[in-house]
Amino acid sequence: MENIKTLLFELSKRVTVGNICEAADYAETELSKFCECSRQGNSIIGRFKGKGDYTLLLDAHIDEVAMIVTNVDENGFLTVAKCGGLDIRALPSRPVTVHGKEKITAVFCSTPPHLSTSEREFKEISEIKLDTMLGTRAKEIISVGDYVTYSATPVSLKNNRVSGKSLDDRAGVACLLEIARRLSGKELPFNVTILLSDSEELGLRGAKTAAFKINPDEAVAVDVSFGDGPDISSDECGKLGDGAMIGICPSLDSGIYKKLLKIAKENNIKYQTEVMSESTGTNADVISVTRCGVRTGLISIPLRNMHTETEVVDISDIASVCDILEKYILSGGVADA
Amino acid sequence: MLEILKKLTSLDGVSGMEKAVSDAVIAEIDGFCEWETDNLGNIIAFKKGKNRSAKKLMVDAHLDEVGLIITDILESGFLKFKVVGGINTESLLSRRVRINGNLFGVVSSKPIHLLKKDAASKLPDANGLYIDIGLSKKSEAEGIVSVGDRAVLLGDYYETEDKILSKALDDRIGCAILIELLKNDSEYDFYATFTVQEELGLRGARTAAFKVDPQSAIMLEGTTAADIADVAEESKVCVLGKGAAVSFMDRATVYDREYYNAALNSGIACQAKRAVTGGNNSGAVHLNREGVRSLAISVPCRYIHTAASVADKNDIKAAYELAVYMIDAICSGKL
Repeated sequence: MENIKTLLFELSKRVTVGNICEAADYAETELSKFCECSRQGNSIIGRFKGKGDYTLLLDAHIDEVAMIVTNVDENGFLTVAKCGGLDIRALPSRPVTVHGKEKITAVFCSTPPHLSTSEREFKEISEIKLDTMLGTRAKEIISVGDYVTYSATPVSLKNNRVSGKSLDDRAGVACLLEIARRLSGKELPFNVTILLSDSEELGLRGAKTAAFKINPDEAVAVDVSFGDGPDISSDECGKLGDGAMIGICPSLDSGIYKKLLKIAKENNIKYQTEVMSESTGTNADVISVTRCGVRTGLISIPLRNMHTETEVVDISDIASVCDILEKYILSGGVADA
Repeated sequence: MLEILKKLTSLDGVSGMEKAVSDAVIAEIDGFCEWETDNLGNIIAFKKGKNRSAKKLMVDAHLDEVGLIITDILESGFLKFKVVGGINTESLLSRRVRINGNLFGVVSSKPIHLLKKDAASKLPDANGLYIDIGLSKKSEAEGIVSVGDRAVLLGDYYETEDKILSKALDDRIGCAILIELLKNDSEYDFYATFTVQEELGLRGARTAAFKVDPQSAIMLEGTTAADIADVAEESKVCVLGKGAAVSFMDRATVYDREYYNAALNSGIACQAKRAVTGGNNSGAVHLNREGVRSLAISVPCRYIHTAASVADKNDIKAAYELAVYMIDAICSGKL
């Protein structure tokens, strides 16, 4: 679990969105310790050679929710647009990083007390300006099209829990890097390709083109899903610390999720189920309809406060996902079923 | 002065639990003045100047900051809390907190994906927010966290060439200036008070003023600056980089007009605070005993009462210089 935690801290503090590839570069360096790697934009593809031509794809996305500068005004205030589903209500008075000619810290304007009303409506992110504190000099450093990202560095909470930015889906990436370590040097029943995909937060884009390129026979996506909270009903969330959330959904392959459940039960690995009624909102949705169709499963890690910089995960849940997937792969997936 | 400000902002001093800040202030001023503490925790210091003062003057800054107090621990391990002082709910959402100076947590709320559309554009009720420190059940809280514990909203200290971004600029700025005044030689004797519980309604200053029994008082404060995008000129209150803000009136005090005019005419960079909003310890001090003539010198702060306030270094310097000027003007008997 220490290895997973170290990976997660290193991944969380780095940024990957658009042309900024800090986390992707780090993940590629780690993954290439265990297998051949190639890049498709920010997406990273690592290939383990096993028996035969059958290929299992494991996916986790490397990108994160962010913002992008759409205007720089004369007084150093920026207008930004969203890259992914952010809660704009939580932006006022939040410091963030602007990736201009250099990295700078800026803070979202909060309503001054004498002008605030209790019934404020948050409609558009463009209504909340970003203060660079640079005044007229802002235009020299920042341009439209520059990315703006959360800046929190990860921190440990009690019970092996971690809080930080971009744990969605660096928790999944850390999981796949750990699996790569475990698979390394082992005789595999089939080829295993690890995809750390880009642009998930913009609509599952990176996985769509990468899955076409990889052309797998079978796939499992690893993402995060809603963790528990005092005002969230139990059918809408997984409980932190209760293990991997095995996805059950009409758009997922029932053979895969049945086998994942069987492996978890037989090996006493902590798990819980996540039942969805239509699609999953994850890369599993696009991987499964690649080319002539790919049998696809989904395992999720419960995560609190999604898309904020105070996301929380439990390292033991990531470890449960690793344990299940390792056994799933070594037992041959659904290649013969 | 800015080094001390950085150190003071890093400490946690939610109203009623100002000890860490108070200890740091004492460590700075000890040896430069006589000091004592009173029953509430105020620091009351006397600075011996080169000359005896014509008026008994009290210069005040408050030690405390706005924050949170833990009110309950749920069976699920989440902590309930209430705010101490004025904090907007928007400043609470998805923030990292520190409890008792050493325990990390986050303010947790329902993710926007699970909210109905109209709920997602409105602020939630602050009572629906919880602190998550990683506990999975109530029994794990034993020995780690208790009801009554205080938490601060965490904010890193960041500087540009001329700006400072930090938590607790209100009123560690005043504390840093007051420490500097005590460390440097003064022309005249004066009293300095570092007071507790300002954010609860000017409570510490009331007893400190009774003890000092001043004829005149100067408040060193941070005040709201709304010189930000999309705010009309007449609503800006004051502007960063244009010097210290001097108040003619706020919701707690009508300030001494002679002091106010003398400050504006000092030749030191300063501006009128252009609004009747907010209030500070003057509200308690100027009504002490038979009344006290008072002046407020404030450093303009954007996003005040959040974990990310912004102030201008030149304004802090100007506020210090204006304080020296006004101490001399009042204590010499000219005013």
